[in-house]
Amino acid sequence: MAELGDKTNPAQTRPRNSFFGAPWTRALFALIFVFLIGMIFNAGGAFFQWGTHRDMLRQISVIGILACGMTLVIITAGIDLSVGSVLGLNAVLFAVLSLRLDWPAYLAVGACLAVGVACGALSGAVIARFKMQPFIATLAMMVFARGLAKSISGGEKVSRAVLQPDGSYAYVDLPRLFQAIDHKVFGGNVAVVTLIFLGCIFLCWVLLARLRWGRYLYATGANEEAARLSGVPTGRIKLLAYSLSGAFAAIAGICQAIQEQQGDPEAGMGYELSAIAVVVIGGTSLMGGRGSIAFTLLGTLTIGYLEKILSINAVSEASRLILTGIIIVAAVLLQRKAA
Amino acid sequence: MKTVSGIFLIVTVLLAGIASIGQTQKWVIGMSQCNLGEPWRVQMNADIKKAAAEHPELTVIFKDAQNDTLKQRAHLEEFADAKVNLLIVSPKEAAPLTAPVAEAYRKGIPVIILDRSVLGSEYTAFIGADNKKIGRAAGQWAAARFPKGGKIVELKGLMTSTPGQDRHSGFLDGIKGTGLDVVFEADMKWLEPDARTEMESALAVQKKIDLVYAHNDPGAHGAYLAAKAAGRDKEMLFVGIDGLPQEGQIYVQQSILAASFEYPTGGKEAIETALRILKGERVPKEITLRSRVFTPENVKKGGEWLDQIPIR
Repeated sequence: MAELGDKTNPAQTRPRNSFFGAPWTRALFALIFVFLIGMIFNAGGAFFQWGTHRDMLRQISVIGILACGMTLVIITAGIDLSVGSVLGLNAVLFAVLSLRLDWPAYLAVGACLAVGVACGALSGAVIARFKMQPFIATLAMMVFARGLAKSISGGEKVSRAVLQPDGSYAYVDLPRLFQAIDHKVFGGNVAVVTLIFLGCIFLCWVLLARLRWGRYLYATGANEEAARLSGVPTGRIKLLAYSLSGAFAAIAGICQAIQEQQGDPEAGMGYELSAIAVVVIGGTSLMGGRGSIAFTLLGTLTIGYLEKILSINAVSEASRLILTGIIIVAAVLLQRKAA
Repeated sequence: MKTVSGIFLIVTVLLAGIASIGQTQKWVIGMSQCNLGEPWRVQMNADIKKAAAEHPELTVIFKDAQNDTLKQRAHLEEFADAKVNLLIVSPKEAAPLTAPVAEAYRKGIPVIILDRSVLGSEYTAFIGADNKKIGRAAGQWAAARFPKGGKIVELKGLMTSTPGQDRHSGFLDGIKGTGLDVVFEADMKWLEPDARTEMESALAVQKKIDLVYAHNDPGAHGAYLAAKAAGRDKEMLFVGIDGLPQEGQIYVQQSILAASFEYPTGGKEAIETALRILKGERVPKEITLRSRVFTPENVKKGGEWLDQIPIR
């Protein structure tokens, strides 16, 4: 993974002559910093058990999947505030389709992906066609998708308990896909959602490092006017970035619904900010044109470990918020110093 | 011109006549809900709607303030201006909503406060359950279940909210002087995914856990999912609060939870009290709701009233 960071970064201007100057080592510093904190505050050895790491990887996967789409958007110098709401919408939609309407898994997943892409494409089209600020366009989508989630769920969680005509509740069985995804493989050592997250990382890597469209994403973000003049279809590139972000939000929504065994219309509230934090702490620039999916992987691990360490030490909510703020700034400063 | 206004007049009279025939309703009740984002509050509105449906003379208008104090204040003012016959308010918070409630009350509109209180006494009646009592009952239930003591994980709602504080201190009261110990506690912010995350940490740190006490049923269910994934769900019992029919009661029926303590919404009682007020009867200023406990043994029969169970 290490050298991915370099290859996927054509706008990189820093000479890559020293080990410590390489961008991926800088991203790694934040992770190592947080990891060391974990070694010190190991909660009576809990940090040294594989189970702790496995659980952390499961917990952070949904944010990581959102961050994959967010990385693509941020590379084009945009932002997608709607991912949390689109996640919520798809969690509800997936629960309705699979728990209430008994759709087969592939149809339910397909429908959710289509809805996710549609949400993203709608934002992307407004941004590309009408030159609307991404902040505004995706803010509108954030509100819109949340409303849609609440309306198709009727404001309630779509759970396994189904109201019967006589006023009692029946409990439907979990579809097979739920069991398959909320499950651990390789001798119970890795959660399936973690593999889905890694799959998303891989897809983004292929796009960014191996395909022409990936280079166009960087070019659009670095200097849109120059890219357009040199023949990059910047409008379509933006449409692609937001559509993919919507698709990843849909995948995250399905994973969320499966792990909760229900579709909560409030799911994913505030997740967009975590996803942005993950991308930025990895080292991808909010100004666009620079960054890589390897950074996002490192950023995801950094935030994931941070949350896990605070959790196993049973730190109170108030102190957690304070410490998270301090540690994020410290980690990013350390990155710069190391550079 | 004359004909036009003549026709207009006739149509108006006819419409008014039709409207008055259709009008059997005598009273309009305004219901100001602070937030419909939580299932428990959705249930409260549903309970009110259901109770009101049995009385055709009542019309209830619902407004949802979406967890925004100022929006709720605006709703209260709108209801007062519309001169509803009675107001039911489930306020988001006490201090900022006291004045708007008092203003409506002074205009002569009877006000029923549901669940959370306001300051002072300028309202007609308060209906609510006692979180501290429910927490204490949960603690005493745990003490009865583990006479030899044991290790408890407590998953707290939000310690900055009154229900969170009361469910916490009540529970500690209930287990005081027994061999029960809270060995791990964390805020799960009332959210199931967060409860699962915190429980995974508890499982990593604690080799032996006897009981998980969560401040709401989704929290207890999240903890169960974590323990099940770790293959340790048989080692401990899970207890939650709220006892909603589609949540806690179902989990108890499935034997996922060993008990769920009802936190009643008071929706039905609010409509009953409203009718008494509208008919001119006197009602007590404060009505404390009774709650039930649901266990796998009694859930089919509709639970047991907490005040009828001899504990300790």
